[in-house]
Amino acid sequence: MVTEVLQLIINGIMAGTILAVPAIGLTAIFAVLRFANFALASHATIGAFAGLVANVNFGLPIVPSLLFAFLVAAVVGVVTDEFVLKPFRAAGFITTAIGSIALTIALENVVRFIFGNELRGYDLPIRRDWRFEGIRIGPQQVENLVIAVAVMAAVFLFLMLTRIGKAMRAVADNPMLANIKGINAEMVARIVSFVGMGLAGLGGMLIGLDTTIDPLTGFRSMLSIFAAAVVGGLGSIPGAVVGALTVGIGEELSLLFLSPNYRSAVGFFTILLVLIFRPRGILGQRAL
Amino acid sequence: MSGNTISRRRALQAIAAAAGTAVSAPAILRAQDTLQLGVLTPLTGAGGFDGPRMLKAMQAVATEVNAAGGLLGRQISLIIEDDQTNPEPAVRASRKLIDVSKVPVIMGTWASAVTSAVAPVCWESKTFLTTVSGADSITLLPHQGYLIRTQPNNHLQAQKHAEFIASIGAKRVFCLSIQAPFAVPTQNRLSEVLPQKGSQLIGSLIYEKDKTTYRSEIDQALRAKPDFLYLNGYAPDVTVMMRDLYRAGFDGGRLTQSYALTSKVLESLPPEVTEGAYTTQPSADIDSPAFARAVKRLGIDDPDSYETQATDWISLVCLTIAKAKEATGTALRDNVRKISQGSGMKVYTAVEGLKALAEGKEINYEGASGPCDFTDIGDIQDCKFRYQQVAGGKFKFLKVA
Repeated sequence: MVTEVLQLIINGIMAGTILAVPAIGLTAIFAVLRFANFALASHATIGAFAGLVANVNFGLPIVPSLLFAFLVAAVVGVVTDEFVLKPFRAAGFITTAIGSIALTIALENVVRFIFGNELRGYDLPIRRDWRFEGIRIGPQQVENLVIAVAVMAAVFLFLMLTRIGKAMRAVADNPMLANIKGINAEMVARIVSFVGMGLAGLGGMLIGLDTTIDPLTGFRSMLSIFAAAVVGGLGSIPGAVVGALTVGIGEELSLLFLSPNYRSAVGFFTILLVLIFRPRGILGQRAL
Repeated sequence: MSGNTISRRRALQAIAAAAGTAVSAPAILRAQDTLQLGVLTPLTGAGGFDGPRMLKAMQAVATEVNAAGGLLGRQISLIIEDDQTNPEPAVRASRKLIDVSKVPVIMGTWASAVTSAVAPVCWESKTFLTTVSGADSITLLPHQGYLIRTQPNNHLQAQKHAEFIASIGAKRVFCLSIQAPFAVPTQNRLSEVLPQKGSQLIGSLIYEKDKTTYRSEIDQALRAKPDFLYLNGYAPDVTVMMRDLYRAGFDGGRLTQSYALTSKVLESLPPEVTEGAYTTQPSADIDSPAFARAVKRLGIDDPDSYETQATDWISLVCLTIAKAKEATGTALRDNVRKISQGSGMKVYTAVEGLKALAEGKEINYEGASGPCDFTDIGDIQDCKFRYQQVAGGKFKFLKVA
């Protein structure tokens, strides 16, 4: 029983950590632009496919491919925000969020048009799991975990130490005050789209590394990513990490007493409970 | 005011001119004259591999029928919608086909959940539905005869699968099913048939779709120490499971439906992950003359069960409309068995059947997917199954039985 619980917690941490990367992107965009950008789903897919091209077509190893996934999704994110979502923002946040759903469907179909519907896999040797005292851990999962943690650390350092990061936090905390202090809100919006969607792309590829990818890769994970951001506190980056781990571990532990087909339901039931008692999420909505 | 009048008059003239042009336009004439048949296949989503091929098979028959003079003196045209392998868009698309295009038939739903959602829309609006969905519950719906399926139901499929699993020596079988209408009936049937054949179902679980990992589900299954796993899901989840099983070090046998482990899926996975896995599917009737005609028509060596079933739907629909001399859902319901079974002259294509009907003969359509004889509730009465095994990342044909 102890082994089983431990195994479920480890599986939950692995799943949650990968979920945390795009969840950080979602929450960062929300903190600065104040709308839930559902186009994150298609950017995760775009990243996954960009990484596939880098890995399979260009023969690049995984880490450079992940970087390529980040860059392509980031650039697409900036371009689509500039030309599609920015005009929506004048009409209000709800309209922008709905516009982002339309955008994600459009982009998903562009991916489908270029790559087709088939499932695709990265050029990656598959390895058997390590076993310790009845617990099994996958080498690929550990690598993904290390990459995800490194990315999260890089994002924290970027926000804490760099001038641009501080400007982003300032806009997220108080846009009006940031404006008075002469921070260019438009530039910050572009940077947050770049970083946020880049993280989505990187997260999409991380998800694909462990599985296979198709044009619906991002869409499938979107609900869990959104849940992670909301549970942690939409707008809070540490919150996104805590939220992702809560959703990941919560879903896995539910298997102890319920059939696996209720996994998501239990996950979302947990979300309801968290939000009933802490309507602003576990860590609140303290920006970034 | 007078300015307004002139502008209104001019506007009316412009509309009249446009209308006149439209009426004389050949494209519009064609649209008015064609006999429209609805197609609702999954062009995207989990069924995105089979849907487009089913569509092509139907288009090929439509082209052949049109080249031979059409149906009821009109050319047929297919109005195509994508069900996205998702009930909600599927219902919206079916409403469009029924309310806007006013088609008498919708052909092509694939996933059981989609068919279960679309079927009530069809029977309530007296539209005929043809499907490949296998869940037993589908033909048990109160569809009033407005539904046929060319796919064997779950009861029959699970029975054949259990017989096959036992025949290859598996003793301890665990079934992992995706959450779908076919999950529980399949597990129940396996637990009935396996013990009769010297094997047993030692456990089963139902999992959710769209998960990025199934490690915990696999752990749960392997704790029961099975020597064989029945993976009853769709391609996205079965692919993840195959990887997770390899990582977990499971070396026993695995069986899954062919739609969950396609040749494209094999390409996406390292060969060691799929080595030795069995696949099964309802087979086309590869010895039948209708199958030979389908091979020629589609220009491929080995049309699969879905392509042949799609061939049979549109053929059955065309022949029934010709028999009834009326293109309505109710006419299809009331007449389909008059051309699909019985003692009439055997025909193997829509064009052959149309010719025979024009000569006043009774016909019995024998399809590329099988005899196409239907029970009162719309199930087929018999069907063959094809078994394959993966060796070195490629499918090796085992048998059709």
